[in-house]
Amino acid sequence: MIMNIIFLQFLLEIMFLTIIFLHLTKKNFSAAVAYGIQSLVICFLFINSFFETGNVYIFAIVLITFIVKVILAPLFLTRLIKKHALSFSVSTYLNTPLMLIVIAGLTFLAHSRKFFPLTDIIPTNQVLLSMALSTVFLSLFLIINRKGVLSQILGVLSLENSIVAFAIFAGLEQSVGLQLGVIFNIFIWIIIATVFASMIYEHFGSHDVTFMKNLKD
Amino acid sequence: MELIFIIAILTITAFLNILIKKRVIIEFLSIVSSAVSLVLSVVVAVKVSVLGIYSPFLFFSVDSFGAIVMVIVAFVGFTASAYSIPYLRQETAKDIIGFTRVKQYFVLSNLFLTAMFLAVMASNPIFAWIAIEVTTLSTAFLVSFYNKPSMVEAAWKYLIINSVGLLLGFMGTLLYFTSVNSLGGDTFVSWQILLENASHLDALIAKIAFVFVLVGYGTKVGLAPMHTWKPDAYSKVPAPIGALLSGALLPVAFLVILRFKAITDISIGSSFSGNLLIVFGLLSVAVAALIILNSKNYKRLLAYSSIENAGVVALGFGFGGVGIFTAVLHIIYNALIKSALFLSAGNIFLKYSSTKIEKVKGVLTALPATGVIFLAGFLAITGMPPFGIFVTKIFILSAGILAHPVATIMALIFMTILFTGFLRQVVAMIFGEKPAGVETGESNVWLVLPPLLLMAVALGLSVYIPSLLQTLINNVVLHY
Repeated sequence: MIMNIIFLQFLLEIMFLTIIFLHLTKKNFSAAVAYGIQSLVICFLFINSFFETGNVYIFAIVLITFIVKVILAPLFLTRLIKKHALSFSVSTYLNTPLMLIVIAGLTFLAHSRKFFPLTDIIPTNQVLLSMALSTVFLSLFLIINRKGVLSQILGVLSLENSIVAFAIFAGLEQSVGLQLGVIFNIFIWIIIATVFASMIYEHFGSHDVTFMKNLKD
Repeated sequence: MELIFIIAILTITAFLNILIKKRVIIEFLSIVSSAVSLVLSVVVAVKVSVLGIYSPFLFFSVDSFGAIVMVIVAFVGFTASAYSIPYLRQETAKDIIGFTRVKQYFVLSNLFLTAMFLAVMASNPIFAWIAIEVTTLSTAFLVSFYNKPSMVEAAWKYLIINSVGLLLGFMGTLLYFTSVNSLGGDTFVSWQILLENASHLDALIAKIAFVFVLVGYGTKVGLAPMHTWKPDAYSKVPAPIGALLSGALLPVAFLVILRFKAITDISIGSSFSGNLLIVFGLLSVAVAALIILNSKNYKRLLAYSSIENAGVVALGFGFGGVGIFTAVLHIIYNALIKSALFLSAGNIFLKYSSTKIEKVKGVLTALPATGVIFLAGFLAITGMPPFGIFVTKIFILSAGILAHPVATIMALIFMTILFTGFLRQVVAMIFGEKPAGVETGESNVWLVLPPLLLMAVALGLSVYIPSLLQTLINNVVLHY
């Protein structure tokens, strides 16, 4: 590890905290910024990979990730927030105390021996992999628990970031070409998801998915 | 060269369709590109039957199962394209859609076909994942095609559920790379390399990875309990896209699951993946059977049938032995018959302007040819002789009866329930008095020929399997 393991752990903790923040925040703008910070952490993790491998092409990934996830994605989301005046996010299915209990439970589960085969892929990174796995679980929970379209978009994007972080610490990074393909895919996904978010607002006058009840048999 | 040409012609057609302003040219290009893809896919299948694996480039590789799926995608793609032209013309005549929507349709449908071909040809699992994700992205706007609230809702559900599912599939896919991670990040790891290194895969990781993959790509297949997007999306898309989703995309996603199954089986034996497939397969058949009884929409009816058939295929691969051979055949029959059913459902929609079963009566009188095709399709898909699904269902169940008697008997019971429910709904639609305002007669012969062709090929393959196909299926049995 070129970057100190403590520093890497600190980066992952930031990522973990951004997901907790996404669970708790009531303001959409802050949520979009939190995603940008989370993606910035991913950029730092890629820079660490560059120092470890010496592969200069990883800088292309850092650059593209920075443009797509740190700049463009939050930009698209904030434009959407401004366009539809969606300052405040839609509520959650679970109340805050219950949500925090589930978050604690999922974090504990990721650190438990049940998932030891996954967190022990690289034994020296066990703590980091456990934390990355907990971010995967928490992102999934974010998608399930939030009623807002915007929060669901952020949940999916956060899940992708978490999987990328896990892959980096597990030594499962793919070739540069394939990673660029994945990022390009995510970029298109962001565009399509934000278009749909606008369409949902136009049709239902809200970003609350519980308003959508047209799919009866 | 054929592989590149298929991708190139479909991609170029998609992008040219953005620029072209004449509808006839858009339609002509789309039909020509799908026809060329079909011819080239058959050529590839012939090569694969001789060579075993056809891999002209580093990034592309087609094995026997891949070749079968390629021909399915190409054939369903061709018939769907041929059908789309008169179908969309009728919708334009009825002022349901305008030229911009027609353009959008042909751009997205060609991209969808390209993505499916790429997923089959991709020699690398991440490359295949990207292609499958593109199938979601290219079809999301086809689910919301008519831009009504229910369609936007269905499209959102489709996008989110499939995206989450595929991200889980991505996680599972990455875990398989633990067997080769010593090769370094820059190495292009193909399916073949993963297979060769499967014995180095940690047993527990293999199990977790397969669960992720089955849940992830199983979402795309529509296996229960990840099936919830399917009835909504299938009931909202234009009829030819329903045919493509059910007839072509389902085999593509199954192909990816089975490639991972082969790797998992080398690592930990076949019982783990087999049992999981049986559980998901049985659950799919059960869910489809129980929901179909109360279905009020004939397109949703087809979606439930699609879930059931995905379950039957999963059972076949789970049981193993003769189940594998017949599961491959089942995939082929389902693709042909289900596509024919979706296209004839499109004709019914054009005539009755409704997808509600209660509003559709006397199809056999109003649409004689379509009525016969729809009835034959129903009998075929539920497993009535002389259609091949009768044989495949019997062989799949017989493959499971000794090792998994409870699952097999339960599957049989649910299949019977499904048949009863399906029969009740189809009888209500096909027979009886047609509504007063509905005119008699098919509106266009070109709307009848594509589903008729699909049914004819399904019937032909039910009584005679060409040696080319037999060779390919035998290779699949040896491999999986």
